Amino acid sequence: MKEMLGKPFPEITDLTRPFWKGAAQGRLMMQRCEACGTVNFHPKPWCVECGSRKLSWQQVKNQGTVYSYTVSHSVAMNLPGWELPVILALVDVDDAARMYAQVVGVGEDGIRVGMRVEAVFEPIGDGAGIPKFRPLSAD
Amino acid sequence: MRSAVAIVGYGRTPYSRLREGEPVLTVDEYLAWAADLALQKAGMTKADFDGQGLGVAHAEAAHTVNWSAAVAENLGISPSALIRGDQGGASAAAMLIRAAALIAAGVIDRALILGADTPLSIPSAAPGLPLSPERTRGVYWDFQGPFGVMGATAQFALVLRRYMHEYQVTPAQLGKIAVTNRFHASLHPGAIYRKPYSLEDYLASRILSDPIRLFDCVPIVNGGLAYIVTSARDARALTDKPVYVRGLGEANNFYRGSRTHPDITCTGFAKAAPVAMRMAGIAHRDIDFFQPYDDYPFISMMTLEDWGFCKKGEGGRFIDGHDFRFDGDFPMSTDGGQLSGGQPGGAIGGFMPLIEGVTQLRGEAGARQVRDAAIGGVCGFGGIPYGRPGRSCVSVILGTEA
Repeated sequence: MKEMLGKPFPEITDLTRPFWKGAAQGRLMMQRCEACGTVNFHPKPWCVECGSRKLSWQQVKNQGTVYSYTVSHSVAMNLPGWELPVILALVDVDDAARMYAQVVGVGEDGIRVGMRVEAVFEPIGDGAGIPKFRPLSAD
Repeated sequence: MRSAVAIVGYGRTPYSRLREGEPVLTVDEYLAWAADLALQKAGMTKADFDGQGLGVAHAEAAHTVNWSAAVAENLGISPSALIRGDQGGASAAAMLIRAAALIAAGVIDRALILGADTPLSIPSAAPGLPLSPERTRGVYWDFQGPFGVMGATAQFALVLRRYMHEYQVTPAQLGKIAVTNRFHASLHPGAIYRKPYSLEDYLASRILSDPIRLFDCVPIVNGGLAYIVTSARDARALTDKPVYVRGLGEANNFYRGSRTHPDITCTGFAKAAPVAMRMAGIAHRDIDFFQPYDDYPFISMMTLEDWGFCKKGEGGRFIDGHDFRFDGDFPMSTDGGQLSGGQPGGAIGGFMPLIEGVTQLRGEAGARQVRDAAIGGVCGFGGIPYGRPGRSCVSVILGTEA
């Protein structure tokens, strides 16, 4: 694991590159199963629903709904260097899968389960980006 | 397999928070220490396990070679069957299932099962953070760390927040579990935090990852634990206090709902517990005490629900309605839990519910002894899958009668 700006940097592999590259270009990419249509995330070696290895990377919608969230005031598993608190959510991306992501542009008193959010993308270097989400109404 | 095997010995080393002046022991030293305690308790020697079973739980201190065969070499034991626990906090209970099956099948007659870890002395990816390299590399990590996942507390906070969205549980209800755990720790000489605190103290503890607060979080320690399991017939010859393994159930990678959008408020105990209770031939009312995997109070509460002591969503009310003290109507986490007892690494804490269950059923729990304890429910709970609470759930029913 490399460290960038005090934050953890992913190891980018052939399996995961489409996600990171897509995010650098403002697109949220996930693997869709060609056999059953299930969207798999995080990247998987085969479809976790049907077992087909025919997974193809596709752009998914950049909107979703907050399934759950937490406001983290301390760092346990992560590297120092984060601006705390971090609002971490599980986001159900529309017509896709559930993912961990930070929610930005909202205070810790404003975040809610069920909140509609949209992806925003931040470059993290090496041609990679990372999606975060912000409230859909804010712009 | 009901009561085909019994536990005849156990050991739990003193734990260390690596305070100044404390010796820094290796994983192998803790394994040997825990094994020594268990062998003494059973009146056996390491030679009794040549040609028999040896089980070793995976340690996260990845700078040590912790393969089961390497442990056999270091301990000078020549087993005919090696059992590997790699299910995190479910490893201890899962290895009991493997050992019971091997014994019931006649492959071996007995097994020595070990676990130790030194999470406070792992060379970490980040100075001061007790993280093994295995937690900080690979696809699983790459899609968490950079996304702001701050550790188990944050991961579990997401589960609790969702639970609180769908159902009701108050901080005071969760605090009751934490306060009772600490009370039990005050009665357990081996617990790491023993000074009792009040519900007010709990509620005043700072929020780490909303809605989880400091006193909800398990403290990690260095330490080791062990147990010895034999055929029921051998157990009766070895001890007048065999603890029979009456029921076993296991669920791995449990989902409720679809794999892309699961209901994360339910754990695999919903599947594992009924299997164990059916094998044991018992009902909920027969259980004299309960040892959940008690690293966070709300995990204990969800475990109560998924075992079926109450319905999903009624955990908070169940907490209000019961006294969890060792002398109450529903004794729970009588060793102080991992919450106040300490967790020797995410993979080894799972020995604690099992060993406390055996301790209680042998009548060796001292000041925290549950009176007339005959049947106990015990849990293993291990691993945190992506966006969900527990990879492996193991339910065990122990009893003084076969």
